[in-house]
Amino acid sequence: MIEVFLRELRRIATTPVYWLSLVVAPFFCVVLFTTLMDSGLPSDLPVGMVDMDGTSTTRNLVRNLDAFQNCRIVERYASMQEARKAVQRGDIYAFYYIPEGTTQKLMGQDSPIVSFYTNHQFLVAASLTYKDMRMMSELTAGAATRSVMRGKGVDDGRTMAMLQPIVIDCHPIGNPSLNYSVYLSNVLLPGVFAIFFLFMTVWSIGIEIKENTSDELLACATRRGTPGATAVSLRALFGKLAAQGLLMQLAGWTLVLYLYGYLKYPCLCGIPTMLGIMTLFVLACQGLGAFMICTLPGLRLGLSFASLWGVLSFSICGMSFPVMAMPAWVQGIATLFPLRHYYLLYVNCALDGWPLSAAWPYVLALAGFALLPLLYARKFGRIMQQTAYVA
Amino acid sequence: MTINNSFAQTLRSIFTDGGVLLFCVVVPLVYPVLYAFIYNGEAVREVPVVVVDDSHSRLSREYLRRLDATPDVRIAGHATTLEEAQEGVKSRDAYGVVYIPSDFQQSLMTGRQTRVQLYCDMSGMLYYKALLTANTDVSLSMNAEIKVGDMGANPIAAASGIHGGTPEQKATLQHPVRYEWVALYNATGGFASFLIPAVLVIAIQQTMLLGIGLITGTRRERGEKAPSQWSSFQTLTGIALAFIAFYIPISCYVLGVVPEMFNLPHIGNPWEIGCLLLPFLVAVFNLGVTIGVVPHKRETVFLIVVFTSVPLLFLSGVSWPGSAFPSFWHYFSQIFPSTHGANAYIKLNTMGAHLRDIRYEYFALWAQAIVYGITAWLCVRYVYKAKEPATRPEQQ
Repeated sequence: MIEVFLRELRRIATTPVYWLSLVVAPFFCVVLFTTLMDSGLPSDLPVGMVDMDGTSTTRNLVRNLDAFQNCRIVERYASMQEARKAVQRGDIYAFYYIPEGTTQKLMGQDSPIVSFYTNHQFLVAASLTYKDMRMMSELTAGAATRSVMRGKGVDDGRTMAMLQPIVIDCHPIGNPSLNYSVYLSNVLLPGVFAIFFLFMTVWSIGIEIKENTSDELLACATRRGTPGATAVSLRALFGKLAAQGLLMQLAGWTLVLYLYGYLKYPCLCGIPTMLGIMTLFVLACQGLGAFMICTLPGLRLGLSFASLWGVLSFSICGMSFPVMAMPAWVQGIATLFPLRHYYLLYVNCALDGWPLSAAWPYVLALAGFALLPLLYARKFGRIMQQTAYVA
Repeated sequence: MTINNSFAQTLRSIFTDGGVLLFCVVVPLVYPVLYAFIYNGEAVREVPVVVVDDSHSRLSREYLRRLDATPDVRIAGHATTLEEAQEGVKSRDAYGVVYIPSDFQQSLMTGRQTRVQLYCDMSGMLYYKALLTANTDVSLSMNAEIKVGDMGANPIAAASGIHGGTPEQKATLQHPVRYEWVALYNATGGFASFLIPAVLVIAIQQTMLLGIGLITGTRRERGEKAPSQWSSFQTLTGIALAFIAFYIPISCYVLGVVPEMFNLPHIGNPWEIGCLLLPFLVAVFNLGVTIGVVPHKRETVFLIVVFTSVPLLFLSGVSWPGSAFPSFWHYFSQIFPSTHGANAYIKLNTMGAHLRDIRYEYFALWAQAIVYGITAWLCVRYVYKAKEPATRPEQQ
């Protein structure tokens, strides 16, 4: 086995494709995602203002909105039409509309109506601007009540209790600053790495078939002693997987150390546990990759399979859109993606800080993926010899 | 080679290549449908929560009843302590805990503030959003009623003389300023309507890049003779026409039929979308030929194209707001046709904009078409040619 292992290491070291997919491309993505969402939560999103009233009261409101964290008023529009067009052009994500006569109605206790429009085509921007604009509107209403109450001689402290008798204290567990990078990078990046792990496994086996070097591989596995056919198969397959696995583990561990050690993303379970989960995840990807290429023994078919699977896993793992809101049959299919189990383990251990024992089914699932190549352990030698590359 | 020959030959190689057919026909046909199924739930409804009601009062029950009645949240269970409630979240039976303090009703009745504690699981932003929105809505609606004493004796309301006022007086005090919120273009705030349009455009780009990469890769693997200097332009034009002609029906299906099938917002003018498609396809084709220089093996193109799909989705500025990009990434995103294509398509089809509103994207795509056209031609003329001596002996 050691001969196959060394041969594989030599092959990896001398082929640029492996360097591209183990080092260059994955770490480009690491830099991209973690710097793109560097701010954690987008702030100062461009919004517009349509103030048809134009009194000191409404101008005050405009200033207050501008002071909110998520919104920055970039433009005032003379009419609703203009503001809507600006949204359509993508200049602003939302606008606030104050109709004429608002101040007068407010003074006359006639409940004026203000409105705000958010472009929900851009969901993240819309949620954040919506939150600020709604809060702003509530505060305006509160200020109006306060001035009425002052007139009636009620002190401010009691008025506050009256304005907001029930307050919601929200505690986002594990990600108190609502950092989007924590929410996304922690799963997207392992997903990108998984694509490459699948690719590399499929590639390394498929290329031997394509370039007719499988005889050389099997000869290499036969070199020591006089092994039977099964032993040759086992040596060839696991020798290859072990060599790649070592490098993939290094890449995976680097990612974990970068996310939790350097960037200090929440990791309540401690870095060693996440390293362990990553190790298992890498093994699962290798297992799945080997399974793919052995089932469809052709480089092109194997890679196609891996591509389609890898890209789908981002959506189906449930990190952005929850699996519970998907149709039942999709929920079933979701369990066939290692990233889904990794995601659940990450949430359980790093984000929520619960012991690994609370998530044992996902550990078992990943282990199951890792064991998939055993199905082909006997046949591997035959697959390598019999399959001719079809261009 | 004349344009005609090259056109016919390229179409032939597209239709006789299983790999190209898989990525340029099957994937564009099936993947959008798959994505639509995944996201078609649009929103997360009825997120389960566990409640700990230490108050056991009329008002706390009222709060929980209203919470359960919201579309976003469902009370999945009651617990007596926070620790017990946590077990429910741990086993993923619930995604949040609502804790009502023991003095909830007492505080409200004596005119003091009370605080409801909401613990959210942060494994998905949508759970958090649903839980926070539902609790905020319930608290605001109860607050408005408490203010005017409708929830029972309220000393403040009584002291201010509002208790027992006329309905009009009460209404004004409840809402001295009313506000309305309008969600534009994606009225339900649906996830499919938000994400899928960008995914569709990126799918067209990525599958076309893969198709071109597979075909140029195959040609290079076979050591096919590089076109002579004079005809390289004609050959390239022929290939381009073949690919673009091939992609027009596919794009019509992906951009026109899929939104219709899954009821995504589609209010765009089809002719304007067609006008956008032209520079987009030309730019993608030219980019495809340019990056086709890199791989020496047919399959290498997978490695380059597939993984970029997710970064490109982010760089399009649809999911992570473009205005929050660091400037380097903003400029970087501008070099990909998908960024402009996705934004322009969303503006046209989801937001009902017209061509004049997407001037920037439209001209950017033509600029890319020209720049990548030049690089593609240079690649065909020099790079592919330079490989000629190396590949020829192998062939013989």
